[in-house]
Amino acid sequence: MYALIDATSFYASAERVFDLSIRKKPVVVLSNNDGCIVAASPEVKKLGVPKFEPYFKLKHILDRHNVVIRSSNYELYADLSDKMMAVINRFSDQHYVYSIDESFLKFDGYSDVVNSWYEYGHLIRRTVWRKTKLPVGVGFGPTPTLAKAANHAAKKFVGATGVAVIDSEKSRKQILANMTVSDIWGVGRRLTKQLKLFGIESALDLAKQNPKMMRKQFSVVLERTISELNGVSCLSWDDVKQRKKEVFSTRSFGERVESPFALKASLVTHCSIVAKKLRKQGSLTKRLIIFAHSSPHEDNYYKRSFIQKLAVPSNDSTVFAKQVELVFSQLFQPGVRYYKAGIGAIELEDDMHQQIDMFNVSDDKPELMQCLDTINKRYGSSSLRIATELQSNQWQMKRDWLSRRYTTRWPEIPLIKC
Amino acid sequence: MKVIPVKAAAGISGFESPAAEYKELGLSLDQLIVGDPNATFLGLASGDSMQGVGIFDGDLLIVDRAVEPKHQDVIVANFNNEFVCKILDIHNRQLLSASPLFKPVFISDCDVFQLEGIVTGSLRMHRQNMRLKQCMR
Repeated sequence: MYALIDATSFYASAERVFDLSIRKKPVVVLSNNDGCIVAASPEVKKLGVPKFEPYFKLKHILDRHNVVIRSSNYELYADLSDKMMAVINRFSDQHYVYSIDESFLKFDGYSDVVNSWYEYGHLIRRTVWRKTKLPVGVGFGPTPTLAKAANHAAKKFVGATGVAVIDSEKSRKQILANMTVSDIWGVGRRLTKQLKLFGIESALDLAKQNPKMMRKQFSVVLERTISELNGVSCLSWDDVKQRKKEVFSTRSFGERVESPFALKASLVTHCSIVAKKLRKQGSLTKRLIIFAHSSPHEDNYYKRSFIQKLAVPSNDSTVFAKQVELVFSQLFQPGVRYYKAGIGAIELEDDMHQQIDMFNVSDDKPELMQCLDTINKRYGSSSLRIATELQSNQWQMKRDWLSRRYTTRWPEIPLIKC
Repeated sequence: MKVIPVKAAAGISGFESPAAEYKELGLSLDQLIVGDPNATFLGLASGDSMQGVGIFDGDLLIVDRAVEPKHQDVIVANFNNEFVCKILDIHNRQLLSASPLFKPVFISDCDVFQLEGIVTGSLRMHRQNMRLKQCMR
């Protein structure tokens, strides 16, 4: 049995953990630079406010309903996510954190211990709520895809209680019949349209298709999805928890950037972010993409990107920063109003198994990086940085409605009235 | 070819400290004070109503959400959308202060009341701690 557990409107719920004045109010959270709505509490969803729409377009509706606006407080979300995952982790010996607010549990040999998955789900929900004040939904199913479907039912269906279980032919059919194909894990918008042409509308319609035929028409991925929907596990546990094959850090600027110092500072900051992510998952990269461009909606669209091959695979922030230094004079063009820049590590390999090169010696300094990571973990991220990152903060995000970092910074901990 | 079986050595290394094998991790306050780190948060006390139990303005409160509340526990609650620290009187549905200057508050049905955690401990700094002081902005 698998379970998928995720937090309900995680960002919006996280904002409510320490700000009691908005516990009962409708809340939306905006993306980087306060651009789009990325999370909306259930009350806002009821108002029919769509996600991923630009904030300025919806400002009047939100104002009319007194919706609370927040900028993304990543420091807070990351810490609350860690705590939530640690609580969930206690419910099975096999746990995989899929994203900041979603994780899978796998249960081998639990059927003797767990009498009712439904009750077990509610135990998980209650425990997470009590310890973290974050609401979660829990779905159980014999395959990861069915667990995900049950999770959808647990939150979206009429009379949903936050827990749903697929453990019989009846419950499987009932849940799949009430889902559209677009609600299935891994079925995107374009595929939904194509499937519609074949008259496949509900998840159950898709489950009834012949997997082999669908593989010919579409892809091996869809074939697997169909088998999974029929209770045949195709995604092995390792597939579910596959490491990322590419790691990117990119960001559009709060205001257009024209200074070379600000552009370089942003790129080197992205180097640090990407390198840290690689170190965390134990990967090295062979190729880096370094890019910057102006807005495609303005005149004189300008874009440059460089693919840099590293002589020796690396996950060292300073090695990446040197690559930025190498291409920067070609990348930067005076007079361009930069809109976005970023770094991507695109050819990853495991840092445990690698080919040693006799002629190229690695410039990586693992001890230095470990020291850097340790210090930043203890004193807050970016306490210690590459000096270039500090040349300018002009490129920083716009976060006009940022809440306090209640759990990671001493001066921002909650006040308690005595 | 003859190999001379002498190990190459550079520098002089001293004897290992006789205490090395007795070394353990130093004591950590977290270990003592925090029961469940995932369910615990820290807050800053503000006000004088809890002096009778030794909580003064500016003290650090350790709040555990996982502990089961008991009658007369020092708790943190969401009371009308504010974090408050009081003594929980379950029998009379009241929030009590630990100071004669403050009357008990009855929790009526009109009030917003939600238990947020049990105060399992508090820290008093006997010299001003600037990092904490900044909270009082």
